[in-house]
Amino acid sequence: MQEPSPTSVSARADLFTALVLLALSAGVILESLGMPRYEERAVNPFSVPGLVPGVLGLALLVLAGLLLLRSLAALRSGAGRGAGPGLLGVAGGLDAALLGLLTLGYGGLLVGRLPFRLATFLFVFLFIVLFERDLPATPRQRAGRALFAFVQAAVVALGVAYVFEDVFLVRLP
Amino acid sequence: MLDQFALFGEAILHFLTPSALFYVLWSTLLGIVVGMLPGLTATLGVALMTTLTFQLESDSAILVLVCVYIGAIYGGSRSAILLNIPGTPANAATALDGFPLARAGLAGKAMAIATSGSVMGSLIGMVFLMAVAPVLADFALKFGAYEFFWLTVFGIVIAGRLTALADPLKGWIAGFLGLLVAMVGQEGMYSYPRFAFGNTDLAGGFGLLPAMVGAFGFAEVLHVMTSGRYEAVKSTLDSILPRLKEIVRYWRTIIRSGVIGTFMGIVPGVGEDMGAWVSYAAARRASKESESFGKGSVEGLMAAETGNNAAVPGAIIPVLTLAVPGSAPAAVLLAAMIIHGIRPGPLIMIEQPQFVYEVVAMVLMATLAVLVLGLLLTRPLLTVLSVPRERLMPVVFVLCTIGSFAIASRLFDVWVMLGFGVLGYLMRRLDFPTAPLILGIVLGDMFDKSLRRGLVLSDGDPTPFFTRPISLVLFLAVLLTFVLGGGTLRRIGGWLGMRRQQGGASEASR
Repeated sequence: MQEPSPTSVSARADLFTALVLLALSAGVILESLGMPRYEERAVNPFSVPGLVPGVLGLALLVLAGLLLLRSLAALRSGAGRGAGPGLLGVAGGLDAALLGLLTLGYGGLLVGRLPFRLATFLFVFLFIVLFERDLPATPRQRAGRALFAFVQAAVVALGVAYVFEDVFLVRLP
Repeated sequence: MLDQFALFGEAILHFLTPSALFYVLWSTLLGIVVGMLPGLTATLGVALMTTLTFQLESDSAILVLVCVYIGAIYGGSRSAILLNIPGTPANAATALDGFPLARAGLAGKAMAIATSGSVMGSLIGMVFLMAVAPVLADFALKFGAYEFFWLTVFGIVIAGRLTALADPLKGWIAGFLGLLVAMVGQEGMYSYPRFAFGNTDLAGGFGLLPAMVGAFGFAEVLHVMTSGRYEAVKSTLDSILPRLKEIVRYWRTIIRSGVIGTFMGIVPGVGEDMGAWVSYAAARRASKESESFGKGSVEGLMAAETGNNAAVPGAIIPVLTLAVPGSAPAAVLLAAMIIHGIRPGPLIMIEQPQFVYEVVAMVLMATLAVLVLGLLLTRPLLTVLSVPRERLMPVVFVLCTIGSFAIASRLFDVWVMLGFGVLGYLMRRLDFPTAPLILGIVLGDMFDKSLRRGLVLSDGDPTPFFTRPISLVLFLAVLLTFVLGGGTLRRIGGWLGMRRQQGGASEASR
């Protein structure tokens, strides 16, 4: 069998992930310990709400600890240093930031505040205009491309709203 | 046995209505298109259609979802063959031989082989679904809290092991993270809101569908838009009709891949991609022409496509009988069944036996639709692949947003989708598999209840977890999976040994 290639992520990224997971699991364990035990109701101590999250927090702590030890081992031996793209090695950092801004802005801010059709039209139009790269040479052709984006955005906004709301009777945000 | 066939016949007749046939045709076609488009997976397709169809009658809604599921796994072969980009993860093995065939001017033949393999795989899986589901459901009636506890642990451990072959530790971390995510919200015994921090939305917990739409949809949008562009092969199509000769010639490969694919589907959380990979590997090992694998082997392509489509009915088997999904799309199917008032699990053959056979009939109808649509619409469907990602991805994201909102009409679910999308993207960048995370979210409730119930029943004595026969077998399976994936432990052991030696050497040199 052709197995997927061994991990291409740098040991530094693994180390950082392990530290985040260790902090998370420690937080989960502490929170679990603080959950009610209903002693005043004399409930069975093995049914308390904090038991299972505590066990899971402990399991994640052990696994994250193994990841930490492994990444440290890789860093010490030099095997994992600089290998792979790491976490932030995304092609086109500006594009990635723009993408994050657009998607989170639409899903997190516009939807629910603006009318759905308007928010969707703005999002789709901006997305196409900002990310379309292989543009034609003449300004006239470029204007044609922008007009096409405008039409697509309008069709998507109206079409999606129609299909969800009128065909499948689903409420829109 | 006769009862089984009678119920199956009734189910077929139940769906032989114009409206049901219309549902089958459009949803299978939609599934094929979803599968073809890089960035749209079967999981996302089934999740989005769940949100769209929840106002339909339950049998129509599940029919649509099964058709989208089967159509998408088949549709992914098109982009694997023509673009060398698997349309869904299940079609990665398809690209190995499908793309070289297309480059050699045999794209039509490759698509024909993929169609025959997919249809044969689905049919073999369907036979197993009909035969195994009642037996497994009957067997699962013996399961108590202890057995369900180990079943969930086994699901997480095996899914973590098999979806991250190169690095099982990351698969297990993803699985346990998923179980932890499922802990957020009110628990089932005392209605205590865990990890809610006074927030009423968090007290309701994270919805599975918004989480899946985020992890498989939004994450994919981020991935596609930050990766390289794709270009379709410029290939004139040769004959797109499957040749009976090739089906007959590779009948052993088809049956072997069908059985392997179904089995990989049954294993919790593993699913179609492993069904394809393991079938492909087994075919290469058994083949007399193994040197041609990876260079345009018809047998390799047939094995991969038979394996992944056989895994679909395979993945539905544990959904129906144990309420444990065999794959990520099957997890959505499980959620959809619960939304529609169906109670999958060991009691299904007692409470709703006809539903099991209706699902078998749905698989058959979807498979026939794949055959018809796959052959008739080969050329028109190719135009789908010419849609540039800049024009497709915003539409996908709009569907992700509205799909997350649709089920409960709350904006919090849109935030959940965004959060899990970013998490899914980061996990992908860091080589963590997403499937065990989702399986963990699905199994979290079962894990929680069965562990606490088991301990309450035994008054804190853990012995029954290890002494009841089925528990013991499941525990040994968990242990074996850990041991087989123990490379990490060995590496750490080796490193600690190295450090001890270095320490000894430095002390000696002082």
